[in-house]
Amino acid sequence: MKILAVDTSCDETAAAVTDGTTVLSNVMWSQASLHAEFGGVVPSVAQRAHEERIDWMIERALRQAGCRMADIEAVAVTAGPGLAIALGVGIKKAKELVSKLKVPLISVNHVEGHALSPLARARTESQDARPKRIEFPATALVASGKHCDIIRIEKIGTYKLLAHTIDDALGEALDKAARMLGMGYPGGAILEKMAKKGNLETYDLPTPMLGREERLEFSYSGLKTAMWRLVQKELPLTPEKIYNLAAVFQNKAFLHVERLLIRVLDEYPTQDFLFGGGVSANSELRKRVRKICRQRNVGMHLPYSKRLCGDNAAMIGVAAGFKAARREFTDPDKIDRLPRWKVDEVK
Amino acid sequence: MVIYPTETVYGAGVDATNAEAVKRLSKYKTRPLGKPYSIAVTNREMAEKYAQLNPTADNLYKNWLPGPVTIVSRGKHKVAPGVESETGTLGIRIPDYPMVTDIVRALGRPITATSANASYQKRPYKLSDIWDNISNKQKDLIDLAIDAGELPHNEPSTVIDTTLDDVVVLRLGEIKLKDRNEVVSRSEEDTQNIGKELWQSYESHAGQRAIVFALEGELGSGKTVFTKGLARAMGIKEEVVSPTFNLELDYEGRLIHIDAWRMQTAGELDGLGFGEMIHDKSVLAVEWADRVAETIRKYNEEAVVVWVKIEYGKRENERIIGWGSL
Repeated sequence: MKILAVDTSCDETAAAVTDGTTVLSNVMWSQASLHAEFGGVVPSVAQRAHEERIDWMIERALRQAGCRMADIEAVAVTAGPGLAIALGVGIKKAKELVSKLKVPLISVNHVEGHALSPLARARTESQDARPKRIEFPATALVASGKHCDIIRIEKIGTYKLLAHTIDDALGEALDKAARMLGMGYPGGAILEKMAKKGNLETYDLPTPMLGREERLEFSYSGLKTAMWRLVQKELPLTPEKIYNLAAVFQNKAFLHVERLLIRVLDEYPTQDFLFGGGVSANSELRKRVRKICRQRNVGMHLPYSKRLCGDNAAMIGVAAGFKAARREFTDPDKIDRLPRWKVDEVK
Repeated sequence: MVIYPTETVYGAGVDATNAEAVKRLSKYKTRPLGKPYSIAVTNREMAEKYAQLNPTADNLYKNWLPGPVTIVSRGKHKVAPGVESETGTLGIRIPDYPMVTDIVRALGRPITATSANASYQKRPYKLSDIWDNISNKQKDLIDLAIDAGELPHNEPSTVIDTTLDDVVVLRLGEIKLKDRNEVVSRSEEDTQNIGKELWQSYESHAGQRAIVFALEGELGSGKTVFTKGLARAMGIKEEVVSPTFNLELDYEGRLIHIDAWRMQTAGELDGLGFGEMIHDKSVLAVEWADRVAETIRKYNEEAVVVWVKIEYGKRENERIIGWGSL
């Protein structure tokens, strides 16, 4: 079933065409995404921008997929979580399309999309290649600028939120640390580069929630505060200091993820682990998470491309494909934006 | 238009100050209007001719250029239309590839430093990556392609926006507060309690006028922690988290938590529907309120606006929390 998917949950205006778990196209207008060329401006209040760009993104997605609008058999749209006014733009467009095309509408949870993004398959993958075998229940980590969730996937479509953040998300903490080091915005990606040259022995920062892992909460406010104080003490910064501070901060931020993940995998063991969201593109974190999985004989699954890590619509199409198979469609007259939609409330 | 190698991918270069040339590039890239191009310059001095470099940019130029980093600053509008973004920002790169800087130096003007693929096509590490993916029409637009064979597969340049640091902030120190109060917080719990006490002292206005807690304070100072206390006092059960990325989070329809950190102008707060929120007599907590002070001030009469400033104290965990109204 060819699905046209749209995501306007926050900054990115994204559209994609998927067929089952196969991604036929995946385009986005993005400023902050890893692969974006210089895009100009932090789009912040994005409604106007989404409205201007959504038609163009849809046209692109169709063209790249080699489809016509008439080939589309369902339309999927992110209903939440996200910024209400931005979500509204995608929903309005999706309603317009389903009424014009006379096809069903599928509303998708953005976090579910990230959690299932490792199941997406590239178009170039041979038709005979076997799909990823994943044993359910499985565990998923969604780490991005907005989300920091460990989710138990009972089966596709049924989720339990095991751990969440009580203040900042991981990507947000990395961006803010970069900002403290005078690295502009968004700085998470460059922080990763600098951290590679740093020495972990130079400074000390606290490990968040150390010894309180059983609460299954992410918290970055304490680490952020300690970093701010440390940076003030070290001013003026030299490249050497920046490398070291970046390395030490990133290490502690990741250590927190590792400790929680270990706790979850030991307490709620599963065969398979899915890792999605913008920060899943960070190679250092990938390495550390891979090690944890290997030690426990857990299969680790990542999105096949970094274009599927940050916000995108292909993951929404993939999640919608499963919903379509379960005949879970949404009444276009009843769909509403759900800015606080939790992944365990998808049903 | 020239296709040229860089330390990342093959680039498409035109004279960035020549409007005709930039038009041709846009035709080649099949890009929508409004998507800007970064430019390549030879050094910092040259960059300063085309953009205003703030201290953040200064620091980045000093430490990271030349190299695979694109630094976004406020442009001086000295390049062709379409090179700067819709809001007048300009991305600048100093490639770590002598041939490119030699070309720019000889030309005496910046060239565009956009990747040579048409929008959304494969990253071009060799000329055939480009050739196999463009139409004959696009090929006709190219005057010269410099073949340096297959380039090492380095990631495209990292983009850093420094313009968030340009915002002229209205410091609370400059705002004369009537009845300014100040207390010392020694823990997160203290900060939450102050949030709770502040709610109790303004609660009587609820339902009659909007109440805005305009929060100011450095990264990590405890603005979200304060809001947690506020929410708890209001009887909100949901976990209050940072609204930085979402810009706005609504708690049970009773508290709207806004973060202006990523906003570039005070007007963006209106774009979120701030005016309607005030008319609806909402309770609002606005982090980084100093960035959008201009907009908040407009509602000084209509709403009860409480300015709260959180500063780091001398000791670990210590915060000085001051509040008052205008």
